[in-house]
Amino acid sequence: MAEMLKIAGYSTVGLTIPTGLFRDRVSSIRRIFEREGLDTVIRIDLASTSRLELLKSLRRYRKAFDLVSVKCINPRVATVASRDRRVDIIFFDGTNRSLRFSHSLAGLLRGALELNLISNLLGQPNSSTFASLVKVAAIAREHNVKLVLSSGSRNPQMVRTPLQITALGSALGLSNQETVEGVTLAPMSIVARNLKKRRPEYVEEGVRVVAPTQR
Amino acid sequence: MGRRYLLIKVVCETSLSDEQLLEALTNSVRKYFGEIGLARIDPRLIKFDHNRSTAIVSCSDGGLAQLESAVALISQYLEIPLAPLVLRVSGTIKGLRKPSVR
Repeated sequence: MAEMLKIAGYSTVGLTIPTGLFRDRVSSIRRIFEREGLDTVIRIDLASTSRLELLKSLRRYRKAFDLVSVKCINPRVATVASRDRRVDIIFFDGTNRSLRFSHSLAGLLRGALELNLISNLLGQPNSSTFASLVKVAAIAREHNVKLVLSSGSRNPQMVRTPLQITALGSALGLSNQETVEGVTLAPMSIVARNLKKRRPEYVEEGVRVVAPTQR
Repeated sequence: MGRRYLLIKVVCETSLSDEQLLEALTNSVRKYFGEIGLARIDPRLIKFDHNRSTAIVSCSDGGLAQLESAVALISQYLEIPLAPLVLRVSGTIKGLRKPSVR
C-alpha cells in the first residue's frame, strides 16, 4: 500500500486506525509509510449509531487522533456531527440511499465533507451513484462547504493519483480550483489547524496562553 | 485539434498485451461516457513498455479530464485486478519525461 501511494505521488497519507490498536502497533504502521518517505496523519472514523454514543466517542478520542471523521449512519448522528466543532470531516456511506448530504446539513456543517470517490464509484458503479455525487457536489458548492476529495482506498488496487481524483471531481461538476483545493489544500489546512489545537498553549479559537517569558 | 499525452503506470498481477490495455481503456470510456464520448475523447495507445509497466496514451485536448476519470474507474480487466495510475500529463510525448505541474 505504502509503495503504491509513493508511486501515485502522495507526500502525506491519512491512516484510519481502529480504536483498540496498541500504540506500538500504530507506531510500526507509521514506520512502514515513513520508510517510503510518506508523512502520516492518524485518523479515526467514528460510526456511532446514536447522538450520545457519538458525543461520548468524541470526548474519548478527540485528543488522541490528528483527524476525527464521522460516518453519518442516520440523520441524528449526521446533524450532531455537522454541528460539533470537534468533528473535522463527515462522510456518507455510498450504499445507504436513505441518507444523503442535504441543504440543511450543509447549513449546519462546521467541518468538511469528504467524498470517497473511488470506493463509492467502484463499489456499485451505476448512474444513481454518479447522480447522487453530482447532487452532493452541487449542494456543497452552493453552501460554500469545504470539500475533501479522497479515494477512500482500503487496498492497493483502489489507490489513484491526485490527478485522477481531481479529474473525477471535475466530472462531478466541480471547478479546477475546487478540485485542487479538495485534494491538497483542504486536508492539509485541517491537519495544520489540529496540530495548532493540540499545542499546550491553545485554549480556544482565538485564545491561547502567553507565557510571561514570551511577552 | 491538439492532443494530450498521458503517462500511465499499469499495476496488474499478470502482464497485459497492448490490445488488452487499449480494450480496457476504451471499454471504461464507453461505459462512463458512451459512444459519443469515446469518439470525442478518442483514446489511442502510443506505446506500452511491458518491462516498466508504463503506457503512453493520447487523447483529444478537450477529453483529458474525461479520460483521466475513465482510467481512474478501471478496476479489472477480464476478472484480473488492474490499477492504472495516471502519473503525468503533457502536450508532447517529450514533455512526459519532466514532472508535470498543474
